[in-house]
Amino acid sequence: MTAIDEHPVSLTVHEAGWLSTFQDLGREDSEALGVPCGGAADQLSAATANILAGNGRKAALLEIMGGRFSFTPERDVLCAVTGVPADITVNGDPVPMWEPLCLPAGARVVIANAKGGMRNYLAFSGHLDTPRFMGSAAPEARMGFPQQITAGQRILLRTRYRGFTHPYLDQPLFRLPVPVPDFNPAVWTIDVVDGPETGRTPGIRKLLESSHYTVGPRSNHVGLRLDGPVVHPEGLGEIVSHGVPIGAFEIPHGDELIILGRSRTLTAGYPIVAIAAKASLPMLGQASPGRKMTFRWVGNEQAVEAYREQQRGLALLEERVRAVFGAVGLPHAALPAPAA
Amino acid sequence: MSTNTAPTGHPKQPPELEAEPFGDSALMFRARSDDAGVRRAVAGRLRDLLLGMRPYGMVDVVAGVESLLLEFDCLAVSHGQLAQTVRLAAAGADWDGLLSGAAAAPPRAHFVIPMVVSEEYSPDLPGVAEELGMSPEAVLAAFASSTLTINLLAAAMAPMMGGVKFPGQVSRCREPRTNVEPGSVMVAGTNAIIQPFPGPSGWKVIGRTPVTICDIREDPATSYLPGDTVRFEVVPESEWQGLEGTFLRAATADQPAADSDAARQPGSAL
Repeated sequence: MTAIDEHPVSLTVHEAGWLSTFQDLGREDSEALGVPCGGAADQLSAATANILAGNGRKAALLEIMGGRFSFTPERDVLCAVTGVPADITVNGDPVPMWEPLCLPAGARVVIANAKGGMRNYLAFSGHLDTPRFMGSAAPEARMGFPQQITAGQRILLRTRYRGFTHPYLDQPLFRLPVPVPDFNPAVWTIDVVDGPETGRTPGIRKLLESSHYTVGPRSNHVGLRLDGPVVHPEGLGEIVSHGVPIGAFEIPHGDELIILGRSRTLTAGYPIVAIAAKASLPMLGQASPGRKMTFRWVGNEQAVEAYREQQRGLALLEERVRAVFGAVGLPHAALPAPAA
Repeated sequence: MSTNTAPTGHPKQPPELEAEPFGDSALMFRARSDDAGVRRAVAGRLRDLLLGMRPYGMVDVVAGVESLLLEFDCLAVSHGQLAQTVRLAAAGADWDGLLSGAAAAPPRAHFVIPMVVSEEYSPDLPGVAEELGMSPEAVLAAFASSTLTINLLAAAMAPMMGGVKFPGQVSRCREPRTNVEPGSVMVAGTNAIIQPFPGPSGWKVIGRTPVTICDIREDPATSYLPGDTVRFEVVPESEWQGLEGTFLRAATADQPAADSDAARQPGSAL
């Protein structure tokens, strides 16, 4: 939808980090056709960035994976940065993550020194001009849809934001109830529920909850490959190709544990010994090589309750942002533009 | 669906469905049957049924060879509620005519796909011939005379097809290849698949098609869907250049093989 009062703003990318792409929450109704949903590995941070920018959760945004990303907007823009802790500066002054940021035209914005995980999300109030495949801006590199952002690229934004006359940068504008994930623990604890082969893999329960696993360097968007103790189930018949949910724990023939990510495809032959709880998937999406983690078994009801709690937090934030933006006249996707 | 993919798989009664939780937001459905053909047929029909009715809370479905994974919004429905909805829908469905009837299935399309055979493009042909106890020429003749049915779209929209008229099963590669060129025509068991994009595969490569079967600049990115039929046509390498990069579209004049034709309902032809 294009609002009549939107105007174009060009964002010039100076440095593109190690790997930065357009992104969103992923494709819908694509898996029946053999295309994985893909989308932001940390859905919670991505959705929160969009909410803080006054967008719908599914709006296109940028995903920045490591290195140094910098850009300059040619006109005033409103944005928000979420994800793992990183240093954000505007013309050299530090600014906070997890808050709406009012950027003045011509400012040089730098996102760098991300630590403790993989990804930062950068959302802008409005619509980013980006190609889509099956309705989504999410990369699908294998099928020729890399969506990668390069240094020197000019990204086009259509926005209703026209600046905000208020002291900015050195103090938070709003007191918003932002549920910021805790990326600090040295060992992350990930909730898991039973998988189809859990019961037929003696010892796996004890092993997963009492061992530390380390994310290996060959991990990617298809799956995290973890180093740590595994056991192989016995007496399984042939497992023919079948669909798998995001977060499925597979034990291949080697001594390795694979946790499948959002770009997984059909799988065959490997037992699934656990499945990550939906509320734990955002943390898994942030795990970078070297990350240590352990696992905690929960029931399906408990897993659903944790997810409900997580979504309640997002819904509350969404409501507050809408109220605040409405009160001060900032553009919001769910609010009509005021009559001229 | 033509009978050659599932010789025994034509349940007239509603099948008994197993519904197994696959994490907090997914259910795996399988027909309770000792017959792989029945399990395969039910998985395909259930997919069409669910895509047509979209039970409340459904997010997406993933078709496996003999199973169907239903992903759902766990805040909207529970495993138990959704399993019951699907069982009720299955019980009320027309299992005899589900695919050919007007209810959910669109008319089937037929594809004739050119394929070039050469030393470079067919590295596994000699091995397949040896395994089947036939000459390479006889393998190709059997392959090209088969009318295949697309059972599902696998990774990156790869058409996975059943119904190759081989006298036996073709095994997979002992060591999967880390990269197989796009266009590669591959077989395993009595199934065939085409590699749409570069990537790993453990299937046996017996040829390569010069046409592009999936292109994300097209909308939709493939012309084919599950349930469509395919026949391969071995063409001389000299035709490669003229066909290279052409986007695959359904055949208009080619007559499908008689056995598959008989399985079609009147009016569902192209």
